Amino acid sequence: MSRILIVAKRVLTQLRHDKRLLGLSVMAPLLIIYLLKIFFDTMPKGFNNARYVMPITAFMVHFLAFLLCAIVLVQERTAGTLERMFINGFRRIEIIGGYVLGYILLATFQAMIALAEALWLFDLSYAWGDLALLFGVIWLLAITSVMLGMFISTFARHEGQVFPFIPLIILPSVFLSGLLINPEQLPTWANWLGHAFPLFYANDAIQEIIGKTPSSSVIWTNIVILLGYGLFLLTLASRTLKDVE
Amino acid sequence: MNAVEVRGLTKRYGNVHALQGIDLSVPEGMIFGLLGANGAGKSTLIKALVGALKPNSGEWQVLGLNPLRDQAKLRALIGYMPQGVALYEDLSARENLRFFGSAHGVPELEQRIQAALEFTELTSRAEHAVYGFSGGMKKRVSLACALLHQPRMLFLDEPTAAVDPHLKVRSWQLFRELANAGTTLFISTHLMDEALLCDRLAIQQAGKILIVDTPQAILEHGQTQLTIEQAGQTNTQQIASTPSALAECLRGYGLNPAVQAIALQPDSLETIVLRMLQKSEVAK
Repeated sequence: MSRILIVAKRVLTQLRHDKRLLGLSVMAPLLIIYLLKIFFDTMPKGFNNARYVMPITAFMVHFLAFLLCAIVLVQERTAGTLERMFINGFRRIEIIGGYVLGYILLATFQAMIALAEALWLFDLSYAWGDLALLFGVIWLLAITSVMLGMFISTFARHEGQVFPFIPLIILPSVFLSGLLINPEQLPTWANWLGHAFPLFYANDAIQEIIGKTPSSSVIWTNIVILLGYGLFLLTLASRTLKDVE
Repeated sequence: MNAVEVRGLTKRYGNVHALQGIDLSVPEGMIFGLLGANGAGKSTLIKALVGALKPNSGEWQVLGLNPLRDQAKLRALIGYMPQGVALYEDLSARENLRFFGSAHGVPELEQRIQAALEFTELTSRAEHAVYGFSGGMKKRVSLACALLHQPRMLFLDEPTAAVDPHLKVRSWQLFRELANAGTTLFISTHLMDEALLCDRLAIQQAGKILIVDTPQAILEHGQTQLTIEQAGQTNTQQIASTPSALAECLRGYGLNPAVQAIALQPDSLETIVLRMLQKSEVAK
């Protein structure tokens, strides 16, 4: 456990030192939510903002957590520090655990302020219980995204190779996860493909929470699937993160 | 017990044979040098020994342990400085040292960090981010990270490349002190002057070890140009670079008062190594 904390502390120290990265990863969702507000202001009256605002907020946290974690881990590999960590006795699970713990704090902060800005700008109000659930879903999605970034990083030899995974993994989830349209309107195969993305379950839970007749079983089923998805990715990442060439 | 025992070690990357049947024994408590040109397979061999790489075949032990099977045990006993600096550039020198030192649970870590910073003459830059450091300064931080937990065996991959001459001398003084205290040092280098400072030397080319011996014995593989001026005449001849060859050659002259000067020009290690490498190429 102590080595997990050592890695987490180092990850956080790096984030603290890299003010530009920290600033961008916190400010970028805020800026995009603001631009979304300007865009939605042009929509006709009666347009259901809430249906899009919360899932898009979740998507931005998902995207940034994925990208940040994938790139930082690839940097570890190219700089030789990952190999050095292993030779200094760190085990795979300690490195992954340290990263998850370090990024949980960033993801929590990102999820909190993005949610707060979206609620304030779009004048949305929910019961405290629903707000807690919304935060919980976005937070869980962020953690899953960290693990997805870790898993994907094992397939990239340098930072540039992370980017092709954005059109492969991130962009399809925008169209197939119910972010823009109800996935049931998609062809059956596309609907099924949508189930492969963590955003699908986060969106399904969010739509249920903000819907008129929320079903707690649907919400919790999605939360459990999201949790399982995260654990599955954690297992994959711990198997693919090689400590020996 | 030998610190390193390697038999028939091979490693392939596709069609590239990085290690081709390496046999090597390194006794404990000495400075063992691995000399070779870039691409000779020095780093691959070191990575196999520290358990960062899985060879295709062969038997290999470090401190009596298998680097892959006994990974956790071995890693507590060794220190490793890779060829690249392998540091967190957005962290300060002290933070890098603290991170790698914490991994080993080093007692009195802060005092050891301070001592390492003083040795590497980085005290005044200890709190600065490493990305602003010169190549030589980064090497110094990297070396300090490898030394912190006082390992039983140190693997240093070109530790003094791009380091200024002053620190290079200080580093080799430290290496000697460590060896005298019982630490085994396995140092790869392509610098001939450094190779001469090792207790034993292996010359590696294209994944093979060409020779393992003391630097002095390797020097004796070369030739010496002997020039003798006698009675106004200059006589130059090539002899083997051994004390007995010199004695035999001079015996013929006796101590004739007419011998006015004797000049010796032995082959440098660089010349000898290059000749060995050329012979090895021709033999292929």
